[in-house]
Amino acid sequence: MYLPTINNTRNYRANRMEKPLDHSLMPPCQAACPLHMEIGEYVDLVAQGKIMEALQVIRNDNPFPSICAYVCNRPCEDACQRSQVDKPVPIRALKRFAVEFGGDRMIQAKAETTHSERVAIVGSGPAGLAVAYYLRQLGYPVTIFEADSEPGGMLRVCIPEYRLPQKIIDVEIQRLTQMGVEIRTNTRVVSLDLVFDMGYKAIFVTIGAHQSRRLGIEGEDSPGVVDAIAFLREVNLGLKPSVGERVVVVGGGNVAIDAARTALRLDAREVNLVCLESRHEMPAFESDIQAAVDEGIILNCSWGPRVIAGDGKLTGIEFVQCTSVFDTEGRFSPSFDDSIKTSFAADTVIIAIGQVPRVPEDFHLRIGRGSTIQVDPVTLTTNRAGVFAGGDAVTGPATVVEALVSGKLAASRIDDYLQHRYPRVDKEARERLTGDLLPKTIEMIRKTGRPEPPSLSPEARVKDFKPVELVYDWEDAINEARSCLRCGMGAEILSQDKCATCLTCLRACPYHVPYLDDSGTIQIPPEQCQACGICVAQCPATAIVLRKPYDRRHITEELDHILKSAAESKSKPLIVGFCCQYGLFGTGTLAGLWREAKAGIWIVPVLCVAKVETDHILRAFEMGAEGVFIAGCGEQCARENTASWVRQRVEKVRKVLAQIGLEPERLQTLVPDTNGDPAEEVDKFVEQIGVFYLASVIMQEVKR
Amino acid sequence: MIVAEQKPLEEIRQIITPYQRILILGCGTCMTVCDAGGEREVSFLHNTLRVAQARSENGSHTFSEYTLKRQCDPEFLDVLVDKVADMDAVLSLGCGIGVQAVAERFPELPVLPGVNTSFMGTTKEMGVWDERCAACGDCRLDETGGICPITRCTKGILNGPCAGTKNGKCEANKDMDCAWILIYKRLESLQQLEKMRRYYPPRNFRTIPRPKRIISKANIDVGGGNG
Repeated sequence: MYLPTINNTRNYRANRMEKPLDHSLMPPCQAACPLHMEIGEYVDLVAQGKIMEALQVIRNDNPFPSICAYVCNRPCEDACQRSQVDKPVPIRALKRFAVEFGGDRMIQAKAETTHSERVAIVGSGPAGLAVAYYLRQLGYPVTIFEADSEPGGMLRVCIPEYRLPQKIIDVEIQRLTQMGVEIRTNTRVVSLDLVFDMGYKAIFVTIGAHQSRRLGIEGEDSPGVVDAIAFLREVNLGLKPSVGERVVVVGGGNVAIDAARTALRLDAREVNLVCLESRHEMPAFESDIQAAVDEGIILNCSWGPRVIAGDGKLTGIEFVQCTSVFDTEGRFSPSFDDSIKTSFAADTVIIAIGQVPRVPEDFHLRIGRGSTIQVDPVTLTTNRAGVFAGGDAVTGPATVVEALVSGKLAASRIDDYLQHRYPRVDKEARERLTGDLLPKTIEMIRKTGRPEPPSLSPEARVKDFKPVELVYDWEDAINEARSCLRCGMGAEILSQDKCATCLTCLRACPYHVPYLDDSGTIQIPPEQCQACGICVAQCPATAIVLRKPYDRRHITEELDHILKSAAESKSKPLIVGFCCQYGLFGTGTLAGLWREAKAGIWIVPVLCVAKVETDHILRAFEMGAEGVFIAGCGEQCARENTASWVRQRVEKVRKVLAQIGLEPERLQTLVPDTNGDPAEEVDKFVEQIGVFYLASVIMQEVKR
Repeated sequence: MIVAEQKPLEEIRQIITPYQRILILGCGTCMTVCDAGGEREVSFLHNTLRVAQARSENGSHTFSEYTLKRQCDPEFLDVLVDKVADMDAVLSLGCGIGVQAVAERFPELPVLPGVNTSFMGTTKEMGVWDERCAACGDCRLDETGGICPITRCTKGILNGPCAGTKNGKCEANKDMDCAWILIYKRLESLQQLEKMRRYYPPRNFRTIPRPKRIISKANIDVGGGNG
């Protein structure tokens, strides 16, 4: 048989014009993520049911994905382009699905010691843990000093169990210990000089922001008034403080919400949350505010505390109306109307109006605004040589993921310092995708009703500290992952020189994305393209490619791979199936075919059958396939009319097969829901091919 | 644009029978737009010929493929010099002009047509092309409201409509619009219906000499000094 060489002579001027590199743009979700995680990548892998691979991608960029899967404030979802269509892709819930179903807790971490310089980390919050993780991977001996009895910092003492189960932190800490990180709990560092004296060459100070701000009003020191951090710490360390029936929480931030929801899970009957800000100015995350309201917490916005009443025993707290929180230049400067008053009876008042770091004076570190440690923003160095700082102690109260970023950066800066290198400033490798979807594009995108990630009912939640948010089941997770619009991965014109401006792409695009600009050139705006690949497969000049190199060669590579394997196994008759790898179809309906490797059936997994080109089909026949079928996912498809494109190409090849003298029935499309059970259809097809094959063998014998 | 249609596979296989090493040559202009001989079609034909050969187990052709930006100008053909050096024939998917241009450039090489050049036309919708111009050399579109009776009237008559028009359709093909009814409507909307009253004498197509040539450059002797 004639063995073709890979076409390297086609494409006029291809050798000069081809841009072989990755042209994908950084999607908005990835740009919004402080860690710049490859969100599109792992969401796509979840959509294919490749959960282990998805977890691998997640772990590449995130040292503690399980923690983020519970508590991340998901800036990615706020940036998601899909929210212009219906609802953002539930990225955090998909990550949670990937870490739980992909077996994150089973993953072992290893690290070898390749350097002799020891590094000390003061504080074991998320930034400290991250810096330990990365420094350990770089080969440094690392010791964490923690003043508390348990490592984890704010994760451990401030985030309530219902948001982040303690056992998740335990798993991550255990993994760090496995890697060889030494953790000394109950060890408060009082002087950095002592640490240097112990032989450490660099110190990372990440002591967090644990000191609650004070209201500065009368009665603040009465019994029954607690600060939120102390309150949450008590609860998290397993003590069950009694708060009485009526609780008032002062503050509108995330800690206030956590404190209020925690109080409700103790013995409180009525929890009032009172804050200066109006409802839409509240700094807490909207989803958390909503969850608190669902659980029965009463919000009282635009009130400023005046006096805490009580004579030896707390009785209540009085407020006056707050007319505005910020001045005209956006600075915090509340003004009040003293004539409008209200008061709440309370058994406990919890103050949650912000936290600041408390840096021991003996550290001799320069302190800046808001009692934070001053650092160089690039090198993260403090005023003392060899002392670096990060996390809330530098930024003031921030999110977990921001702490992880600061830890990751600090690790590479400390490495630079210890290796006497000039710190490298990473340039962003990929251009960012900007711009909103156009209404005409939005109109053509198939809408899916996003099922919210499952969660406990509000009534069930307040009974105890069980995690509120549950995990998607397999089906919902995969369907949700399919709603990703693949931003920035779309089609581009490889070289305008090659484009014949035939307008095929403009006519074929289901989303009306390509357009003719004023100079008569076709443009495919990347922020509109949905990466369906239809124009790529239709372009008569083959001038259009997908921006990611992997997407360009995926089908050809898979096909070559299975043809090679099939040639080795010599099974006859050979049947090639191009099967959609997305959704439940890829993992469910046709999974049987994969595992059984049914006599002679070889599956080429494709990421949407609309990307299968006529050449792919012909190549299978050329290499000896007796039959070829294309199985799309039917109703589950993220688009409306994928099947019609497949049928058109199939018709074209069938015509050619007939001219060659092969039965056109050797090529079939199987679309579930219109053909019935695809597995049954495949059986029927195999039977038919068997008959053709037998007939052709007999014919050959007769000829001889 | 020039519109063509790929020849039936059987015919192509017959044409190439005498030759061993064949270069399938596409054209990146009109033939790409009309889906007859762009890079995708070249690759498709290449694959088809190979499958046909593999399946029938006769024939021992070897194929290679290349697509030029345009075949109809000799300057574009220079890159082919190396590529055709060890070829026995070129199967051109260019229009008739392209085939001839390649043949002219490589006089010692057989150049075979892979498409039937059909007409000059426009894209009606994806995958559908309509004829619009017969290159008659004597354009009267100003008088017929921009609708060409030579190509769009089945009979090509210059003074229509004929008696065969019915409900705006042609008697020769009931699915086809009568060109002269279209002309009438268009002139009506242009308020130029008086043009319908004119009589055009029959044209003598024999007076058009072939092959035609157009010379747009001024006939100046380059060596004529600066006078």
